[in-house]
Amino acid sequence: MNILSINCHTKSHGGKHRFLHVQAMKNLECEYGVNIRKAIKDILLFHEPKPQKPFILTEASQVGKNGGSRGSEETGDRKRKRKKNENLLLKKYDEKHSGQGSGGTRTDISTQLSENLNVIEEQFSLPLNGDLVIRKFRINVRDSSIEAFMVFFDGLVDTKVIDDDILQPLMLLSSLDIKGEGEDILKYIRSHIVPHNQLKEVRTHQEVIDAVYFGGCGIYIDGLDTAFTADVKDFPGRSVEKPNNELVIMGPQEGFTESLRKNTGLIRKRLMDRNLIAENIELGKRSKTPCAIMYIRDIANDSLVSEVRRRLQKIEVDHIMDTGELEQFIEDDPYYPAPQVLSTERPDRVCSMLAEGRVAIIMHGSPYALVVPFTNNDILYSAEDQYLRFPYSNLLRIIRVLALFMSLLLPGIYLAITNYHHEMIPTDLLLAILSAREKVPFPSVVEVFLMEISFELIREAGIRIPGPIGPTLGIIGALILGQAAVEANIVSPILIIVVAVTGLGSFAIPNFSGGFAFRILRFGFIILAALSGFLGITVGLVLLGLWSVNVKSFGVPYISPVAPRTRGGFSGAVLKSPVWKQELRPDYMNAKKDRKQPEISRRWIKRGTRNLKSDSGNENDQV
Amino acid sequence: MTRFKLMTAVMMIVMLCPLLTSCFDAREVDDMGFVIALGLDKGKTNDLRMTLQIAKPTAGETGSGGGKEDDLPYVQFSVEAPSLFSGLNMINTFASKQISLTHIKVVVFSSELAREGLGQYLRAMIRGREFRPNMPIVIARNTAEEYLKSVDPKLVLNASKYYELVYQSYRYTALIPKVEFHDFYLATESLCKNPVAILGSEVKFTSAEEFDIKNSTYREHGRTVPFEGDFLAGDIPALGGARSENIGLAVFDGDRMVGELDGTDTNMHLLCTGEYIHSYWTIPDPLAEGQYVVLDIKQKRHPRHHVEIVDGKPVIHITLSLEGDMLAVESNINYESGENSKILESSVESYTREQTMQYLEKTAREFKSDICGFGEHAKGLFTTWAEWEAYQWKAKYRFATFNVHVNFNVRRPGLIMKNEATISSGGGSGSK
Repeated sequence: MNILSINCHTKSHGGKHRFLHVQAMKNLECEYGVNIRKAIKDILLFHEPKPQKPFILTEASQVGKNGGSRGSEETGDRKRKRKKNENLLLKKYDEKHSGQGSGGTRTDISTQLSENLNVIEEQFSLPLNGDLVIRKFRINVRDSSIEAFMVFFDGLVDTKVIDDDILQPLMLLSSLDIKGEGEDILKYIRSHIVPHNQLKEVRTHQEVIDAVYFGGCGIYIDGLDTAFTADVKDFPGRSVEKPNNELVIMGPQEGFTESLRKNTGLIRKRLMDRNLIAENIELGKRSKTPCAIMYIRDIANDSLVSEVRRRLQKIEVDHIMDTGELEQFIEDDPYYPAPQVLSTERPDRVCSMLAEGRVAIIMHGSPYALVVPFTNNDILYSAEDQYLRFPYSNLLRIIRVLALFMSLLLPGIYLAITNYHHEMIPTDLLLAILSAREKVPFPSVVEVFLMEISFELIREAGIRIPGPIGPTLGIIGALILGQAAVEANIVSPILIIVVAVTGLGSFAIPNFSGGFAFRILRFGFIILAALSGFLGITVGLVLLGLWSVNVKSFGVPYISPVAPRTRGGFSGAVLKSPVWKQELRPDYMNAKKDRKQPEISRRWIKRGTRNLKSDSGNENDQV
Repeated sequence: MTRFKLMTAVMMIVMLCPLLTSCFDAREVDDMGFVIALGLDKGKTNDLRMTLQIAKPTAGETGSGGGKEDDLPYVQFSVEAPSLFSGLNMINTFASKQISLTHIKVVVFSSELAREGLGQYLRAMIRGREFRPNMPIVIARNTAEEYLKSVDPKLVLNASKYYELVYQSYRYTALIPKVEFHDFYLATESLCKNPVAILGSEVKFTSAEEFDIKNSTYREHGRTVPFEGDFLAGDIPALGGARSENIGLAVFDGDRMVGELDGTDTNMHLLCTGEYIHSYWTIPDPLAEGQYVVLDIKQKRHPRHHVEIVDGKPVIHITLSLEGDMLAVESNINYESGENSKILESSVESYTREQTMQYLEKTAREFKSDICGFGEHAKGLFTTWAEWEAYQWKAKYRFATFNVHVNFNVRRPGLIMKNEATISSGGGSGSK
């Protein structure tokens, strides 16, 4: 305030007093945080759009972040480099976490076992935490007996593995003859005594704590300033079952579970691509939920991967529970009705999307994986489209497009026609509607709202009814309610059909969130149609189109390939060609490798040329 | 107030504006009365007597209702008014629902009104957005009110369906012309064509004893017995069904009615314009007196027209190409093959030619009105539009001479390949 008044003062030349007075008055209102005059100007006048740099997915760009620099290496030590990178990331996190305010933790493990024990007890809030187990034991090596203890969470570990593969060798078998020279006990224990497949040496307490939280056990040995962590996790959870919500008839029947490693395992067993990467990331400052970013390194665009990584790393939240929340954290436009991230339960679907050049995000504790980027047409695709022959899947897609339009527009069109555009209906139908509506006391808008809302009620109630009554009640509710309403002359029978078809249409959309989008928009269209008939519906469609054109999903425009048009045009948008004709990856993915099949991918087909060798290698065969 | 809240407040105020329109134009379907037929007569006290048939909502459930004698699917109102739309206002003094003209299926004029000229009513209807351009125009021989009153559809539940179907019968009977309101209007202001309208009337006979054929035109056609088309509307000896009938056409010159033609002439009219689709013809048997051959005639290809101007008078050459299926041969002569088939074909050709010439002469000499639209083919003979206008085709049509050539083939003999004689106990062929 003071500076402003000084400004007023210094500007005061003769003749400008009134302006300054007004200016000072206006400045007084800045306790509201905004200047009214400035606000009006902001609203009414045109402003140059601020130069923002939204993330746009372009052709293989080099980005100097972690993942990008190694894009060009193809040969040799990919695995080693990858592992090194993983460790690099882990280390960065460790440094970050250990650097952040946990200055109380003594970072280094001391050689004194009792000190270590104290630190552990303090960090894990013993004796408050009832499920942490500390097992003290002694290791017999040569002629000395060393004290040691093991820490783990009961319930997260496989106790049999601990007993057989860690405790038993350390306690019992360590007194066997030592082969080889007497060197480092550490090395000796590590390489000779503990027959466990994932044993790591760590130097800081934080690493042990992290490992224990993730289902490992920490082993501290007196006299060593490093500790061991072993991965013995056996999280309680579901085994791999059928996916609950994405059922297909022809196709694999496996679905993700709540465990991160099981999920990444499901993907890896299906896609043994040498370049499939599963990067680790930790989300949530306090929940420390491990996540994995999966992509195929030499297909997925580097800038896409680094954008995904960037968005995940920059989420600051205490606890994050499920990929549903994660989706809302990372999507481009949270207000847009349709989802911009694909959420799927099926590993085969994730694998085919990874092969197209997309990136998958898997979170521990959630059976849904997120796949980005996601476009409008993906709402229409189901997992089965790829596995069926192309006439069948094209038929299904056409039906789904119809279902989509019906679920969005049918009640609106019915209202528009019966209220405004009577000349569009054939006279027979008009007279039928008329005679049905004669008995109904409400105007048609009220009828439509009544039926739509009761349909949504039935749908919602049907989800929560327990057991076998659920689906039955849904059917009975709908039928009987509808029938009774017609008999009571509250609604007309034509409207029951309209509402039922609309509801069916919204069920036919394979993507669950996508179906919701159209359910919400449908109400908007009903209101618009009731207000101004087809004009209202057109305005609504134009507005929706304007909005959709602007939305991007991780840099890919949402309604590609319709707009902007890309190579291949609309050919893959709604109808799909047979599998052996899908030679190129979608252009809007900007993958590093465009071609996934050569032009002739079925080489068993005989052709006239003599230049192609047949499979049998016999050059005399005409191939 | 943060910027966001300010924006939201402004947006809400802006969004209230469409609510002020309060669904301005919306009308519930059951608040409107839909007119399905419009009849215009000369009024006693005023210029016009307007008759409206308004559809009653179909009695919903099947099985309840139905079967009552006077349970018509429509109601009919008549009112005298100076013009079309003022009549609507007057009807709404007692009809509860708002009248909507968007579903009119037919417009009926009385012949009295038609002879005075329909221009003013056509102009009102072509301007209005509600009138459908494909409505048929019917001229009622008595009054439109009686014609509309006599419509009593027995085969359909829904009156509008009746109207939709009955005027489409030109496709398979060729006894009424193809008339659509928009074409009618265009023909009234065209230089080369004159409009036609369907002729309709109520049935005169209430029982079979009253049948008589004194009004039939069969004698003009040189026959001893009336064929199916030799009647004007209202004269057909038929009972049951609806009490109105449509056969024949009304000839117009400009917007004024100048004459009527019966069913046979309408058949030839459709042949000459190329709108003919198919129908059943009864031809006198060429080799057996008093018996008939019934054929299902279709167009093989569209008729070819050629117009010349000789001494300022039009000379019109028409080539009709027809083909037919044999439906019934009453005698036992083998028309299916050999010489007889050629005899049959040439007999049909000459029959057609004769009837067509009669029809064309009638339009030219008696009515002086080119209803087939030969002017279209004459347009190409003039180099500029001004010359064409100056020629005045419609005035010169009365001097036209015609030249009709018919090609006819029998295509299918039905399921019988060779006609055999019946043999009875008297020996020999039992039939005449």
